[in-house]
Amino acid sequence: MRMDSKKLEELLQKYWDCETSLEEQQQLREYFCSVNVPEQWKETAALFHYFEQQKQKSVNEQFDRTMLGRIKTSPKGKVTNLVQTSLRIAAGVAVLVAAVFFVRQEIRNNDAVAMEDTFDDPKKALEETKKALLMISKGFGRAEQQAKKINLLNEAQEKIQTKSTEKTEL
Amino acid sequence: MNLEAFQNRVLPAKNKLFRFALRMLGNDDDAKDIVQEVFIRVWNGRDQMDQIQNMEAWCMRITKNLSLDRLRVIQRKGTDSLDKNFDVQHTDGTPDVKTELGESMQHVSQLIAALPEKQRQVIHLRDVEGYTYNEICDILELDMNQVKVNLFRARNAVREKLMKINAYGL
Repeated sequence: MRMDSKKLEELLQKYWDCETSLEEQQQLREYFCSVNVPEQWKETAALFHYFEQQKQKSVNEQFDRTMLGRIKTSPKGKVTNLVQTSLRIAAGVAVLVAAVFFVRQEIRNNDAVAMEDTFDDPKKALEETKKALLMISKGFGRAEQQAKKINLLNEAQEKIQTKSTEKTEL
Repeated sequence: MNLEAFQNRVLPAKNKLFRFALRMLGNDDDAKDIVQEVFIRVWNGRDQMDQIQNMEAWCMRITKNLSLDRLRVIQRKGTDSLDKNFDVQHTDGTPDVKTELGESMQHVSQLIAALPEKQRQVIHLRDVEGYTYNEICDILELDMNQVKVNLFRARNAVREKLMKINAYGL
């Protein structure tokens, strides 16, 4: 294959820049593998020779026979795949069911405490509620009394402070 | 998919799959194992294979994934087997070193083996196998930009080192 050096240089530059098409690469390969290339491109020629040599590698002639023999004796993949897939799905469903069961039970337990009815008669329920509210209000009342005591102390402290400041001013 | 379709549509990709696995694993036997595993998987899932548009690219993708799994197993086994593997990778397919071209090709082989994994994969798929950028995106599960960046870096790393070898004999 003949190619002038200018064109070859251009093509090679395109190759290094990864801009060559497959056809152009084939041209380069044919050029470098078929003629005595100038000394300056000796190493580049080795590269294309290497690619060409790599492409010649192949499996031996017995490969097809071995392969077809293995294929005929190989277990039917579809069945094993089906079993595996079914087992995976079953495992997934089992985990999901267990998770839903436990979550539901947990929710029920919580609701049972919160929502349990203690009285059947509404009047009784009203009375009990009143009692409970009364207890709370009593508690508030006691707290208020204690707070008043604290207020008294504060007032006394303030009075003492004002008297002491008056004395110092005099 | 019946056996005839398998033989016509899938089996012809064997050498490309083998070379790709070999590029990643650096060992003939491991690469052959991977290709057989890929074909067994395709055969076992043959009922769904009609939906796949680009069967070859799909097989290449499985080859990549299985090879990566195998690499992880090798790495887990310890450094002994890893070192052994790297030795194979460096000398893998090296040409006759007696000739000047052979020596240069051995340099190229070592340079490419020393590239990062992604760059090695991209340069192999583009420059050895001649895949389009879209197919490489499919196989490696990368976007177009990542593919082009990796290819650019790979080619330029090789170019730079080849230039050094050419200039200083390093």
